[in-house]
Amino acid sequence: MKINSAVKLGTVATFAAVLLAACGSSSNSSSQASKQTLNWMESSALPSMDLSTATDVVSGETMNNTGEGLLRFGKKSTTHPGVAKSYKVSKDGKTYTFNLRKSNWSNGDKVTAKDFVYAWQRTVNPKTASQYAYMYAPVKNANEIMKSQKPVSSLGIKAEGDYKVVVTLTQATDYFPALVASPMFFPQNQSVVDKYGKKYAANAKSNVYNGPFKLTYWTGTSDNWTLSKNTKYWNAKNVKLKKINFKAVKDPQTSLSQFQSGKLDATYLSGQQPKNYKNDKQYVERKGASTFYIEMNQRKDSMMKNKKARQALSLAINRKQFVNKVLADGSSEAKGLVSTGLMSYKGKDFNTASAVPEATDHDLAKAQKLWKEALKETGRSNYNLTLMADDTPAGKNTLEFVQSQWSKLDNIKVTTQSLPFKTRLSRSENGQFQAVVSGWGADYPDAISFLEMFTKTNSYNRGKWLNTEYDNDIKAADGKDANNEAARWTDLVDAQKTLMKDQGIIPLYQQGKSQLVKSNVKGVIYFPTGANWDFSHAYISK
Amino acid sequence: MAKYLAKRIFYLILTLFIVITVTFFLMKLLPGTPLTNQAKLSKSQIALIYQQYGLDKPVWQQYLLYLAGAVKGNFGTSFQFSDQPVSYLLSSRIGPSLQIGLQAMILGVILGIIVGAIGAMKQNTWADTTTTVVSILGISIPSFVLAVLLQYYLGLKAGWFPIAEWGGFIYTVLPTLALGATPLAESARFVRTEMVDVLSSDYIELAKAKGLSRMGIIYHHALRNSLIPLITIVGPLAVNIMTGSMVVENIFSIPGIGEQFVKSVLTNDYPTIMGLTIIYSFMLCVVLLITDILYGIVDPRIRITGKAN
Repeated sequence: MKINSAVKLGTVATFAAVLLAACGSSSNSSSQASKQTLNWMESSALPSMDLSTATDVVSGETMNNTGEGLLRFGKKSTTHPGVAKSYKVSKDGKTYTFNLRKSNWSNGDKVTAKDFVYAWQRTVNPKTASQYAYMYAPVKNANEIMKSQKPVSSLGIKAEGDYKVVVTLTQATDYFPALVASPMFFPQNQSVVDKYGKKYAANAKSNVYNGPFKLTYWTGTSDNWTLSKNTKYWNAKNVKLKKINFKAVKDPQTSLSQFQSGKLDATYLSGQQPKNYKNDKQYVERKGASTFYIEMNQRKDSMMKNKKARQALSLAINRKQFVNKVLADGSSEAKGLVSTGLMSYKGKDFNTASAVPEATDHDLAKAQKLWKEALKETGRSNYNLTLMADDTPAGKNTLEFVQSQWSKLDNIKVTTQSLPFKTRLSRSENGQFQAVVSGWGADYPDAISFLEMFTKTNSYNRGKWLNTEYDNDIKAADGKDANNEAARWTDLVDAQKTLMKDQGIIPLYQQGKSQLVKSNVKGVIYFPTGANWDFSHAYISK
Repeated sequence: MAKYLAKRIFYLILTLFIVITVTFFLMKLLPGTPLTNQAKLSKSQIALIYQQYGLDKPVWQQYLLYLAGAVKGNFGTSFQFSDQPVSYLLSSRIGPSLQIGLQAMILGVILGIIVGAIGAMKQNTWADTTTTVVSILGISIPSFVLAVLLQYYLGLKAGWFPIAEWGGFIYTVLPTLALGATPLAESARFVRTEMVDVLSSDYIELAKAKGLSRMGIIYHHALRNSLIPLITIVGPLAVNIMTGSMVVENIFSIPGIGEQFVKSVLTNDYPTIMGLTIIYSFMLCVVLLITDILYGIVDPRIRITGKAN
C-alpha cells in the first residue's frame, strides 16, 4: 500500500496454529477490565470503506477489523483460518480449494462462496477503476480482464455450492495465501452493494460486515469513527473489546497531549518525539516493510555506470549513525533492497541469507580508494553529483546526511535537490536525475514484491541498472521454480546478492514507526504490510 | 438599494465565474496525478483509471463539463474520499469551520473595540500602554503559536478546557481564542488611533461645551466615527481567519474544511480543490458586500446608491 505501510507475512500457509497464539494465556476474563473500550489514534480520517477501491492504510486497517477473508493474518504475518476453515493446494500449485465455514453477515445474511466470487469480480472489473486491482495478477485471466480483453466472468474463481471456493492461478504463487488474507480479497454482499448503489459503503449504515467488529459510527467524512463488537461474527465469543473509538488527530503534539490526558490509548510519535520518549515504558517500535534507497541514473553518465564509483558512494555512508542519530524514529539500517522481517525460509531471514557486507558496511578508506580509481577510469579529475529527494522531513534529513557523507570523498561536489513527491516521481520516471532517493513498500510478504522492480524491462527500474544474471534469477523465481520453495528461495537470495555486489542501488534505511501504547492494552496484533493492525484478540487489562 | 444589491450579486457571480475558470486551468498545471497509489501503477493502468474518471479528455472539455455540472449543483466526487460527493464532503464539514470563524470574528472585534476605546480614553496612561502592548502581541504572535500555548496551559496543564476534538461549546473556546487574537489586536489598534483623533476634533469639544455627559459623547459621537475605518479591515480580517483556521483546525482536531484545502491541493483532488475555492471566494465576496452595506449605515455620507443628494 502506501509507501509507509507494507505487510509482511509468513508465506507458509499452515493451519497448525489455529486460534491465534496471540490470545496468550493472560487473556482470561479475570484479568480484564470491566470497560472494554479502546481509543485508537489515526493520523488521518477514514476516507473509504469500499473493499474494491480503498487505497490507504487507514481504510485497510479498519476493513481488516470489520471484515474477514478466506484466511486471516495473525502474529508475525502468518495466515490462519478465516471464513475458510481449511484449504487444499493442488500439486502444481495452481488450484486452491477453500472449504468455507457457516458464518453470517452483520445483517444476518449467510456468507457464501458467491460473495467471494462477486467481490473478486467486482474488484478486477475495469469499470470499478480499482487502483489495487493489480494485486489480483496471479489469479487466472485477471490481467486480461483488467485490460478489457476478457469478460469478468472468466476470472479464475468459482463457487461450488454455497461453501466451497475454487481458485485457479496462472502459475504457482507462493504468497497467494497472504493475498487472500488481505482486505482487497474479502467477500462482499451483492444484495447490499446493489441495494445502496452509489451510496454503498459511503457511511456506516450502507454496508454490512462479516468480521470481528462492525462499523457503527462514521458519516463518510467524519474524523471519528467507531467499531463495535459484531455479535454475528463466527468467532465472536473470543472477541473481547466491546468498542473501538478511532480518532483522527492530525497534529502529533495534540495527539501526544490527548494520550497524556488519557483520551487516547495509543499515539504515533513523530519528529523529535521518538527521541524524547525512547526510554518510556509505553514506547513501542514497529518495523515496517518499506525500504529507502538511492537509484543512480546509468543511462549515459559514465561515472554512474562505473561500478567502483557506485560502490564508493555506498561505502561512504554510515547508515548506523543515520538511523540512530538523525532519523531516530524506529527506522533501521537497510542491508539490501528487501525489508528485514518480510520473508524467511527455514527460520532464516531473507536479508541474513543474502547479506553482502562489502556493499553496505561503512568503510571510508575503501570508498576513497574506489572513488579515486573510478575517477581515473572515467578520465575525470572531479565529479559533480546532484542528489534528489522528497521535500518531506525524512527526505530532507536524508539529503543533508548523505551530502555530508559523500562530501568526505575527494574531488566530489554534491548538491541536493528537494522536490514535492509527485514532481520527484515524474522526474524519476522520465530519467531526469543523477541520483534519487526512492522508497518502496511491499504489497505482500514476499521478496519478489521488491526484487521484480529492478529487472531490465520493469518501469520502476528508473536508473536503468541492467544485469542479465539478475534478470534470469527473477525469471526463474517467477517461472520454472515458482512451485519449488527451496529453489525459488535460492533464486531470490541470489538476485539480491547480485544487486548488492554490483551496487545496482544504494540501500539506506528500512522505515519504522514508533508509538506510545498504554500498558493495559493487550493482544493487539501488528503486521508490517497492508492492513497493519488486528484488534480481534485485543483487550484492556485491569 | 434593491438595484444596488442586484448589481452587486451580478458582480459576485461574475467574480466566481472568473475564479472558477482561473483555478481550473491553474490546477491542471499542478504536477502529478490524483492517484493515491501512483508510484505502483503502470502507464496503461493509469490510463484505464483516468478513462473511468473522465480525466483522459482534453482540459477544455473537462472544464465545460465541470461548468455544466456546477450550474446544476453537481460539484463532482472527491478523489480522497472516494465515495463522497464534494457537496456532501464540504457541507458536512463546513459547520465547525464557520462556527469557529464567526465566534472568533465577533469576539475579536467586540473586545477589540472595547480595548481600543479604553486605550483612547485613557491616553498615555498605564491602561493605554497595556492595550498597545496587548495589540502588538496579538498581531505578532501567529494564531498557531497561540493555539499550542493555549492548548498546553489551559488544556493539558490546567485542564479547564478539552485539549482537542469537537463536542459542545466548551470545545470551541480555545480555538476561538486562538483565532480571535488577531482580529482583537487589529481592531483595538485601529479603534484607538482613530478615536484619539476624533476625541481631539472640534465637534467633540463643542459637545463637551454643551455639557453632554462623557459616556454620551464617547458613545454617540466618538465611537461611531471611529468605527468607519474598522469596517475597512473586516474583509482582510475575515481572510486572515480563513487561512488561520487551516492550521488551528489541525491543532485542535476540528473536523472542518480548513485542512481539506491544503490536502486537496497536495493530492490533486481536483473536484475538492474547486469546491473549496468556490466556497472561500463566495464567503469573501459576501463579507465584502456586507462591509459595503455597513459603510452606508455607519456613515451617512456614503451613499451606496451612488447618487449624491
